[in-house]
Amino acid sequence: MTADVFLFWFLALITVISGLAVVLMANPIYSALCLAMTMISVAAIFVTLQAYFLAGVQIIVYAGAVMVLFVMVLMLFDLKHELQAFTRGRATGALKIASVGILSGLIVGAVTIGLTIAGRSSDEVISAAAAGGVVDTTRGLSEALFLKNIFGFEALGVLLLVIAVGTVALSRSKGGTHARD
Amino acid sequence: MPIGGVIFITLFIAAFGTSLIYLARWTGGKAKKTSQAKFDVYECGLPVEEKKDTKISVKFYLTAILFILFDIEIIFMYPWAVNFRHFLATGSGLLVFGSMMVFLLIFIFGLWWEIKSKALEWD
Amino acid sequence: MTSMGNTTFEIVINTIKLLAVFLLMVQAVPILVWLERRGSAFIQNRFGPNRVGPLGLVQLLADAVKFLTKEDFAPEKGNRIMFYMAPVFALIPAAVAYAAIPMSVPLKVGDYTFLIQGYEINVGIVFILGISSLAAYTILMAGWGSGSKFSLMGALRASAQIISYELALGLSIVGIILLYGTFNLTEMIHAQQGIYHFSAFGYTVAASWLPNWGIFYQPLGMILFFSATFAESNRLPFDLAEGEAELVAGFHTEYGGFKMLMFFIGEYGHMMIASGLMATFFFGGYSIWNFTPQEVYNWCYGLVGSEQIANVMNVVLHFLSYNIKFAIFLWIFIHVRWTLPRFRYDQLMDLGWKTMLPWALGNTIVTAIVIFVTSYFVIS
Repeated sequence: MTADVFLFWFLALITVISGLAVVLMANPIYSALCLAMTMISVAAIFVTLQAYFLAGVQIIVYAGAVMVLFVMVLMLFDLKHELQAFTRGRATGALKIASVGILSGLIVGAVTIGLTIAGRSSDEVISAAAAGGVVDTTRGLSEALFLKNIFGFEALGVLLLVIAVGTVALSRSKGGTHARD
Repeated sequence: MPIGGVIFITLFIAAFGTSLIYLARWTGGKAKKTSQAKFDVYECGLPVEEKKDTKISVKFYLTAILFILFDIEIIFMYPWAVNFRHFLATGSGLLVFGSMMVFLLIFIFGLWWEIKSKALEWD
Repeated sequence: MTSMGNTTFEIVINTIKLLAVFLLMVQAVPILVWLERRGSAFIQNRFGPNRVGPLGLVQLLADAVKFLTKEDFAPEKGNRIMFYMAPVFALIPAAVAYAAIPMSVPLKVGDYTFLIQGYEINVGIVFILGISSLAAYTILMAGWGSGSKFSLMGALRASAQIISYELALGLSIVGIILLYGTFNLTEMIHAQQGIYHFSAFGYTVAASWLPNWGIFYQPLGMILFFSATFAESNRLPFDLAEGEAELVAGFHTEYGGFKMLMFFIGEYGHMMIASGLMATFFFGGYSIWNFTPQEVYNWCYGLVGSEQIANVMNVVLHFLSYNIKFAIFLWIFIHVRWTLPRFRYDQLMDLGWKTMLPWALGNTIVTAIVIFVTSYFVIS
């Protein structure tokens, strides 16, 4: 077992365990923190595939921005009700059984797919990508963004603007703490 | 990129910090419960009240969401900035420059609108 | 490729190097605390710690011993796991990011080349920004784990402040990235070596009396970046996270002893990252005023006449150069803390969103236009 393979299995193990913990933890804050951990370990897996910039973006945007918002919002709720809702009752029991069923199905699927691609090392994947014409990932990314898909790129700017406007409008809705009237 | 090194130092610091906390616990001992007030959270001389329903200004959420949006827009500038000279050298400079300027125009409009709509006003 | 080296020897050396960088960071904290206390005393015209050892230098050792005798306390209402995990996590982002900053020219010994930094990362800026943005979790965990409303409010304010200033921080270095065209910190330092020179409209302009440092190209970017790092590391005038007048002590109200010390190490670690990045982006990193490493090496070689010793001398000289810049920025951090009063929270948010963000945006646009115009229109 080379260091590369060991590294991959190590990171994969962390990703899967923290991903499982997101679902299995009763406390939503633990779930959110575990999700952040999943994001970070996925970023580490990107690094082993030499997608450095993508890994950095994964950490900055997902782990450093989106999940911070999640954790921030969750910490301000009264979590005792949430905890009770998820630990008692017949409905939640049925939900648990159903989610265990879905989860085991997903695990079987993941193992089946995993076995078919387990033989390939990350070097193979990288060389396959390089054969497809991708050399420097950041350069390839910016060529795709700013030359090939300019329209999509500008549309994305407009989309972000619309989201910002929508957020502000929502925060003004009646009954909010900073409602206008 | 030596990700092995990053993982190693992370694990090392986690172990180091944990052992420091255990060391301090071992030398200092566990806190003795001499009174209930000692184990309550800090309060300015009053009996501690259980918080039931914390009302936090929606501004904090708004700030965080707007941060995510602007952060994404800034992240898009990074691959552009790092390859700008390359594009200039290969002749597609004008197109790339123009596309980012339009994007920035939308960005500036968004920021101007946020400021004008008093969404960033803290009172 | 992804591991730490090819041979056992390299792996061992890299491991030792990483530990050395971490210990360098941790041992700098007592010195900085001493400097901060003596410095503040000097600024406020009083003595400061002067009883334990010469000039009070051993004061921090005495403090550490006292921390060890403190009983281990956790509030009953809080969440114990979070409460204990937060200080440990406070150390990680600071140290991991600091190890990526290059401190000197690579040391060549025989067939081996050793980088004088923890690890070289080829998207250094993105990595450091990403890792240091994870510091918000520590604060939220500490605030929530304490179970106190003062801690929670402090954590909320601190994280809102950190994310607000991250925008200005991220945007203020786009100009620098445009200028050097790389994310790699070592390449960035290479671009800043030698005398001031740039090409515009097909001509090359050079000034032999100025170094080729980033500050002379991006003065506004430097000011914005430095101010934003103050807010990122929660230092005065941005220490709204603590705000002891309103929030007792912010997110670490319930902490004491060694756990508090670990938060301190994290905060000073962020100061060190900021100082190191300032030196790297705007002041030529380890490079010496007006000289390239090759010139310094030649001078060393002329002095001692041995390649090995000249190599080592070169590394030491550049390491000293880096540390002088590093120390100057750390001193500015300390000096500002004892000079400026704290902002109000609305002023803080206004400064971040309405002043620094638009200025950083303007800086980016102007830089892009200048680079575009000067290299697109070549007068021949």
